[in-house]
Amino acid sequence: MKKSAAIAIMILTAFIFLSLNFSIYMLFTRRVVDEMTVEERKNAISLEDYLPFADGTRAVTVKSSLRFSESDRLPVLDGASALYPVYASVAASVYPEGSVIFEDGAFSDGSAVQFRNTLRAYRAVADGDADIIFCAAPSAEQLGYAASVGAELELVPIGREGFVFIVNEDNPVNGLTTEQLRGIYTGKYKNWRELGGADRMIDPKTRLAGSGSQTVMEHFMNGEQMMTGRMFGFLGASVGYSFRFYVEAVPREHSVKMLAVDGVYPSAENIKNGTYPLVTEFYAVCRDDNDDENVRRLLDWLLSDEGQELIEAVGYARIK
Amino acid sequence: MKERTFYILMSVIVALGVAATAALAIYTAYEYQNCSIITYIATELW
Repeated sequence: MKKSAAIAIMILTAFIFLSLNFSIYMLFTRRVVDEMTVEERKNAISLEDYLPFADGTRAVTVKSSLRFSESDRLPVLDGASALYPVYASVAASVYPEGSVIFEDGAFSDGSAVQFRNTLRAYRAVADGDADIIFCAAPSAEQLGYAASVGAELELVPIGREGFVFIVNEDNPVNGLTTEQLRGIYTGKYKNWRELGGADRMIDPKTRLAGSGSQTVMEHFMNGEQMMTGRMFGFLGASVGYSFRFYVEAVPREHSVKMLAVDGVYPSAENIKNGTYPLVTEFYAVCRDDNDDENVRRLLDWLLSDEGQELIEAVGYARIK
Repeated sequence: MKERTFYILMSVIVALGVAATAALAIYTAYEYQNCSIITYIATELW
């Protein structure tokens, strides 16, 4: 074989592999790697940013007539990522300093604040490992687990939040109707052009079963079967869903835009005044047989003016 | 170039290419398990 031909074949082979890897990087890898650590992405929020009592914390404190002391039996708080800022702020406002122990990127066993996320928090409250969890409504599986361990859950609505649909900032679509959104997730609409957008395939993203946003989405679908991914969907333009606070208040290098639904944008004001159609309540949840006096005092406080002021100061809409 | 030399060099290039592609695919799949939906949507190509 001629030397020049052999070298050309080798260069071409190397170029094919380089092109393949570059394409994989641009289409997939680049989109799934961000500035947060794997642990932060699992948590969906930086725990340290809202760590109660820490210097420079973003946890909110309000003037509180309820103040637990170190000698009190402190209710263990836990919950969803999107609501971690709420219960971290509750601890910062009501709990004594030193009650929250955070080491090596996680809460220690004896800490009054824990972070298990919705999926595990419902299990923790049913098992008695957490006293009050802050979450969206439970899924049928989560209620089923509680029943299986003989627990009945008491759900106390403490605030309201917008359930939002998100797309890339460059997607020309700015709003959809509820019928169109359901149609995307049933597979009725396959291309953004059908909805007044660009000629690109729609890539509807779903969330983990049992997560707060997935449970709300299942309610939104009103019994209609959701499609689970589309072949070559990664070549299209995505749509996903989450809660407004998580989209707006958690700082990120990259951003997305929230869609107006039925002509109403999910601004804090529209969620508060009830004009945005997809407003969901979130709850402080405990076992209904948890008769710890401080659990009851804290639940009452969350519904008081002071507690509701805290909900609003964190960035959510008050329930009362 | 001797045929044997050519085949050895080609084998090395192909092996490196396959290894790099497999490593990138595994890394990407691992990251996808934990990726933020916001980052995923925000970084799509337009």
